[in-house]
Amino acid sequence: MRIAATLREMGIAPVAVYSEADREALHVLGVPEALPIGPADPRSSYLDADAIIAAARRAGAEAIHPGYGFLAENAAFAAAVEAAGLTFIGPSPEQVRALGDKRAARALAVKAGVPVVPGAEGKDAAALIKAAKTMGFPVMVKAALGGGGKGMRVVSAAEGLAEAIESAARLAGSAFGDPSVYLEKRLERARHVEVQVLGDGQGAAIHLFERECSLQRRHQKVIEESPAPGLSEALRERLTFAAVAIAAVARYRGAGTVEFLLGPDGAFYFLEMNTRLQVEHPVTELTTGLDLVRLQLEVAATGRLPLAQDQVTHAGHAIEARLYAEDAARGFLPQAGTITRARWPRRPFVRVDAGVESGSGVPVHYDPILAKIVAHGADRAEALGRLTAALDDTVLQGVVSNLPFLRALARSREVAQGRYDTEWIEREFLGGFAALAQAPAPELALAAAALAEMAPGAPAADAEAGAAVQPSAFQTVGRWRLPGLG
Amino acid sequence: MRSTWRDGDRVREVELTPLAEGRYRVAVDGAEFELSAEPLGEGRFRLTRDGVATLVEVGAAGERRFVRLGALDFVLARERAGSGRSRDGAAGGGLEAPMPGVVTRVMVAPGDAVVKGQPLLAIEAMKMEHVIRAPWPGRVKAVLTKPGEMVNGGVPLVELEAGAASPA
Repeated sequence: MRIAATLREMGIAPVAVYSEADREALHVLGVPEALPIGPADPRSSYLDADAIIAAARRAGAEAIHPGYGFLAENAAFAAAVEAAGLTFIGPSPEQVRALGDKRAARALAVKAGVPVVPGAEGKDAAALIKAAKTMGFPVMVKAALGGGGKGMRVVSAAEGLAEAIESAARLAGSAFGDPSVYLEKRLERARHVEVQVLGDGQGAAIHLFERECSLQRRHQKVIEESPAPGLSEALRERLTFAAVAIAAVARYRGAGTVEFLLGPDGAFYFLEMNTRLQVEHPVTELTTGLDLVRLQLEVAATGRLPLAQDQVTHAGHAIEARLYAEDAARGFLPQAGTITRARWPRRPFVRVDAGVESGSGVPVHYDPILAKIVAHGADRAEALGRLTAALDDTVLQGVVSNLPFLRALARSREVAQGRYDTEWIEREFLGGFAALAQAPAPELALAAAALAEMAPGAPAADAEAGAAVQPSAFQTVGRWRLPGLG
Repeated sequence: MRSTWRDGDRVREVELTPLAEGRYRVAVDGAEFELSAEPLGEGRFRLTRDGVATLVEVGAAGERRFVRLGALDFVLARERAGSGRSRDGAAGGGLEAPMPGVVTRVMVAPGDAVVKGQPLLAIEAMKMEHVIRAPWPGRVKAVLTKPGEMVNGGVPLVELEAGAASPA
């Protein structure tokens, strides 16, 4: 839907693809033309390159936008699209492959003169263990082809390392098809700052400033913003310069994100590069006034950068919260079911990118993101105030979500002051939040629930029907990770 | 009207007595107060207590009630007499699915003696495996599911009788 919105503004007819289960999904009903590509199981639909390419041919499409998920960082898919004579909106298959291998990406950063997190690669566990002892603990064990925090293990002493390497390799083998792992020194109290870049594929690249994404749980982002709070202008220049250098050395084509870890001492290290549009791209769009999907399309169509670095400016501050179907007070357990009521904030300077509405099913098998709520303001305090109010306005019932967690985060003193690192939520925030969330509900809430049981046609009567319409998880595929032209 | 609610780990009792013209006497766990309620449709009410009005919005999903009170959200679950879903675990002895998912493994069979913390079965949802362990030592009375079965959150999976050791 996000992508179709821009296509329609540009006078290009979007064609969405959908699985059997998504016949009534928002991304399908929201565009004039949509084609079925197979059954609910993503392996035979959203992950089936042939089915997607065949649909593009049937529709007479010229290009395929891979969205954020499923095949967005799949080199074989990018290659198949190009082999079919279609344009892939994104980097070349070689770039997807090279940057997807975290070891090759680290080598590229070194070549660009950018520091990488001290680490070690090696064929066998013994060599890695020896390197770790030299480097010092704690270390992180990561999958070479991993991403999104999956399969990462923190090891604080030599004893647990052999077992962690073996288990990470096994997981990497089954999840990414390659058991290679590598080690990285774990930086304490580091922040996650990333730079949005755009390259022409021939060695020219520009940046669209940075995003701060340190507010994470289980290594996954929950609140992101731009600009990064507390970043000096000098440090911002060095970070963006490093990101552009990496994109230039990679001869990167299209929109990408260079991720860095920023130590408390101001030293920064290359982490990885994402070769797709990021979930958090709206904060960059709101502060630069640029439509990232449009920029992707323009680069794909012309092979040139549509604007020069000095034409990119940023204004104000934008902050995004990710609404997930998960129980933050109970270990972030994923939740599923049917959304009985969803109402999004309607207020000035707030943007909502939602994948669900009242009546939508929330599936069991995928990343349980429901919506992104993004606020813009003249400065950080104004943006955060608007986000807080927007979260208060949001109504989501039927499935437990992280909405109370987001509201508490947005109100916390550390977030207001911009003082946190990637582990702050789990180290300092979560305990207090969980205690608060488990406090008894106010008497008025109980009175309201009891009152609703008495009202005619109220929940008591509807309860059975509500249970009956809850779709089987197997029949519902995520609406968020839109592949294809949607 | 009396109703019983599960609020996190607590069980709470509400008694609602209609007075006149949308006024009620409410007792929550024995604490009494008066309330006036103006129904606004679709589970919405304006509640006034001690002169302070609050907008509430109640939505149902199965036995769960999602209650929005001002800008705060609470999730309560209706407990019904004889449903065997008492939270007072030792009484029913039922262990419930903590989330909707697919049962991947069942590690016990009826009649098995288990020790506290022993894995009973595993549920997978969103690529995460969640192992359900025995909360107390005892004997498996019944296994109510099988591998491959899709279950909803709150569904009983295993009935566990307390053994010699106290379930507390």
